[in-house]
Amino acid sequence: MTRQSVKVPKERIGVLIGRKGEVKAKVEKQTGVMIFVDSEEGDVTVDYSKAEDPSAVLSVMDFVVAVGRGFSPEKAMIVLEDDWFLEVIDIRDYVGKRPAHIARMRARVIGTKGKTRRLFEELTGAYMSVYGNTVSLIGDIVQLDIARRALDMLLTGSEHSAVYRFLESKRTEIKVDGMGF
Amino acid sequence: MAKWGIAHIYASYNNIVITLTDITGAETITKATGGMVVKQAKDEASPYAAMRAAEKVAEIAKEKGVDSIHVRVRAPGGNKSISPGPGAQAAIRGLARAGLRIGRIEDVTPVPHDGTKKKGGRRGRRV
Repeated sequence: MTRQSVKVPKERIGVLIGRKGEVKAKVEKQTGVMIFVDSEEGDVTVDYSKAEDPSAVLSVMDFVVAVGRGFSPEKAMIVLEDDWFLEVIDIRDYVGKRPAHIARMRARVIGTKGKTRRLFEELTGAYMSVYGNTVSLIGDIVQLDIARRALDMLLTGSEHSAVYRFLESKRTEIKVDGMGF
Repeated sequence: MAKWGIAHIYASYNNIVITLTDITGAETITKATGGMVVKQAKDEASPYAAMRAAEKVAEIAKEKGVDSIHVRVRAPGGNKSISPGPGAQAAIRGLARAGLRIGRIEDVTPVPHDGTKKKGGRRGRRV
């Protein structure tokens, strides 16, 4: 995401900044991209004029969105690395805006006591966060592709067992990629 | 003196297109797409393809004397995805690593002021 400004939900602003600003400071130090937060409105803007690697601005933007979509700063920091990406999927694209349907889909994605989400994370290696109307994933390109397809199955109504079977069948693909071509 | 150009990067989930123009944007200097650098269609939007395409663009750019570039990234936009695909980041990184100086990075994804209905129909996307 390259917008020079994004909106972050008010309750996530504190997480983005961190205790005494430590999260924000850490990201700024690591990337050289400055983050400015408007705590009233929730607008976050970035300045990359002093950054060594200007393309870092894209991953910093992804980091801000990731925190805004419910990831902990520790997990969101992963998107700052090369080859790790964030993907935000809107549940409303699948079931419309009725709160009952959205709640049902959130439940399907998370599973009883987080079983489905845990399996997603274990089988693909990607991280998942369900927050508000969105499901967000952080992973490398192969993990993301598989996790997105599995999520698509869930959101379009596949049985959980079918999705697990799909994820299970794709495990070797992820393993092979993890070893580096 | 630095000679500037503009790299227009269009990163969708299916492909990536990098077009290098002069500063006016009217004259194309060179271009490269994901499909030009990888064999399999599914790899066209991968970060690897973006990197290779960026290298290709950078090489010709330097041949023609362009050494600094502004970047304009765009996603499909409109009623489709508004966030650029994974290739965008890799492409900018590729351009920077190949020795081009990056000036401004701008997002030029077209955003509707409420336009047409998103595809997929009333019952959402079904596969």
